Amino acid sequence: MLGTQLPRLLHGTPGTPLTLAQHEAAFAPTNPGRDLLEELEASGLTGRGGAAFPTGRKARLLAEQRGHHKYVVVNAMEGEPASHKDQTLLSTNPHLVLDGAEMLASIIGADQVMICVARDRPAIINYVKRALHERERKSRRSVKFELHTPPWRYVAGEESALVHWLDDNESLPQYRPQRPTILKLDRHPVLVDNAETCANVALIGRLGARWFRELGTEQSPGSALVSISGAVARPVVIEAALGTPIRAILDVAHAEPMPQAVLLGGYGGTWLSGQNLDAPYDNTFLSAYGASTGAGVMVVLGREGCGLVETTRIVKWMANESARQCGPCAFGLPALGEDLTELSFATTSSSTALNRLIERSGAIDGRGACRHPDGVVRFVRSALEVFGDDVRQHLRGTPCNATGSQKRYATVPMLEREDELIWE
Amino acid sequence: MGVRRRPGAFLLKVNPILCDGFGHCHELAPELVTMDEWGYPIIKTDPTPFENVGAYESARYAVRGCPRQALNIERLNEK
Amino acid sequence: MIALTSPYLWYITRATGFVALILFTLVVTLGMLVANRIGGTVVGRFEINELHRSVSMVALVFLVIHIVTTLLDSFVATGWLSAIIPFASSYRRLPVAIGAVAFDLILAVWVSSLLKVRVKNATWRYIHWLSWLAFASAIAHAYLTGTDAKSGAGLAVVAACALTVLATASWRYLARPTRAAGRTALSPLAAAKKPTRAPSPQRSSATPSNPTGPSNPSGPTSFPRSPSPRTKKKMR
Repeated sequence: MLGTQLPRLLHGTPGTPLTLAQHEAAFAPTNPGRDLLEELEASGLTGRGGAAFPTGRKARLLAEQRGHHKYVVVNAMEGEPASHKDQTLLSTNPHLVLDGAEMLASIIGADQVMICVARDRPAIINYVKRALHERERKSRRSVKFELHTPPWRYVAGEESALVHWLDDNESLPQYRPQRPTILKLDRHPVLVDNAETCANVALIGRLGARWFRELGTEQSPGSALVSISGAVARPVVIEAALGTPIRAILDVAHAEPMPQAVLLGGYGGTWLSGQNLDAPYDNTFLSAYGASTGAGVMVVLGREGCGLVETTRIVKWMANESARQCGPCAFGLPALGEDLTELSFATTSSSTALNRLIERSGAIDGRGACRHPDGVVRFVRSALEVFGDDVRQHLRGTPCNATGSQKRYATVPMLEREDELIWE
Repeated sequence: MGVRRRPGAFLLKVNPILCDGFGHCHELAPELVTMDEWGYPIIKTDPTPFENVGAYESARYAVRGCPRQALNIERLNEK
Repeated sequence: MIALTSPYLWYITRATGFVALILFTLVVTLGMLVANRIGGTVVGRFEINELHRSVSMVALVFLVIHIVTTLLDSFVATGWLSAIIPFASSYRRLPVAIGAVAFDLILAVWVSSLLKVRVKNATWRYIHWLSWLAFASAIAHAYLTGTDAKSGAGLAVVAACALTVLATASWRYLARPTRAAGRTALSPLAAAKKPTRAPSPQRSSATPSNPTGPSNPSGPTSFPRSPSPRTKKKMR
């Protein structure tokens, strides 16, 4: 494993979750002397769901809200198809996540925690149910826990969509003109945090901010879970210290040694060229490449693949996952998919397709209520940059690496028909 | 419409969820709104100073004329 | 109660009634033109919207004159409240009651539209749909109440108004623009099945390994079509 203090979160065996007794034996109980909120702020922990918002600041915002009734929502929806870290975490040690949620509840003054796991993951739902049952039997309840199972959609894990589902039974992202906005569930303030973030909170509550900062970098302290798929022996979730060179992380996963590129962050993330894989896995350094750690996803593109084809597949799926509330996203993303198809499967009109693609990306960017279209546009732009040579080859009509092979590296779920998509 | 000269600028903002692409805003405030190929508004993201009275009036007409009430004017105070 | 016995009140009542009906027919038609996104080239879309609003004001004026002259006319002996409360009058109870219902609904639509900026858009839209009911009530009231409406020119006018709205409503439904599928489509029409159309010519660039669902062809001139949406959307 990387580093001397790992694993922190993945302490245990995925698939055989720690019982409450095992969890309490492995981890010391919370130190009651600490001011949890201050420790959280000092730790520099940022959200592990994708947005990387400072967790301490978020908790303080919620703590300052007036209200006799507040909620904490643990977001284990994991809308990214290439991400498995939250599922792995919950199947290894759900109690760590639940502890963290309880700590956040005590920080902000909430009396109820809602854990949200996607409906079509029965194994994970079972692990969480068992863990909740164990806690109930031990009467450790100071806070009421509830398990909810929204339908799985890409946007269902988006904060406002998740809260809207809890409130109104539809996983639709909401328009939030002012950021940061306090989300409201039934008019009460609600704190939404990713499952991995909650697990980190649990550790910080026990071991302190200084311990947390012993791993990672100054700006991005701590460890993070990374889901690696694509040109690897098999998809795997690895815990790595932030700041580790990406190449080192890929080596641990036994990825293809000289990949063409790696998709970082998620399907709304960015491609990183194979030449830049010595970059540290840290948002401050990655921003120089226009990339970020995002939801902790790495999809490795092997030599036999074509970046444009992968991009096309992903964009078409992302377009289908649009909530279709806003015109630019509902119509623009499928249009991007069509242009990419024309570009990838070289027809005579490819150069017009490329120009249209660039124009449309500019037109769609920033015009949705949520960041879904922005993510797709960023993804497409990074593909055009990183696979620039491939683009030129396709425009000339000459075959590229993937023309012969049917090899596909990104796991893209099957496109469902629009009227079969479940949002409730 | 008596618009006093005041400092600062404004932004015309649209709620993309409420917007249904009627296009009245583009007709009423063409200096602030253009249309994309699907009939939805692309609104200028640079603030317009209040001194530009014509633009401000157009913006107010657009807000009033939107069939879905999807537009609003955000005032920015330059201090 | 003022008892003005004069045939002129009776004439004014009937005349303003017909004028109001014609004007409201125009209002409803203009409203359907707005909803179907007519305009943008020769006439502005916002102009049709403004016309819709202006004509509704004029129609309301004629309607109010119609009601006031009816109430003032001692011959019909109806109380003032019967204008807004159905069955409060003893004269021609059912037809006048229907007229009162029509007036109530029109009042609701008018007030909500005056306050359009202040109410939630969903609220405003739901109230606005009452205008269909208001128009139907107005037609029923015109046919049942009027001594003129049972035959001849009067009947022709009422029938013409009703047929105009029916025809325009069919056009409204058949030529409805599609919009982003589903979530903001509060209209019950959005849930209706779209008429089938011939598939667009297939491009040679179909992705071999990824079967996709129906695509969204988007042309620069036509408003894009979208597949049938689901409209379950709760209102706060």
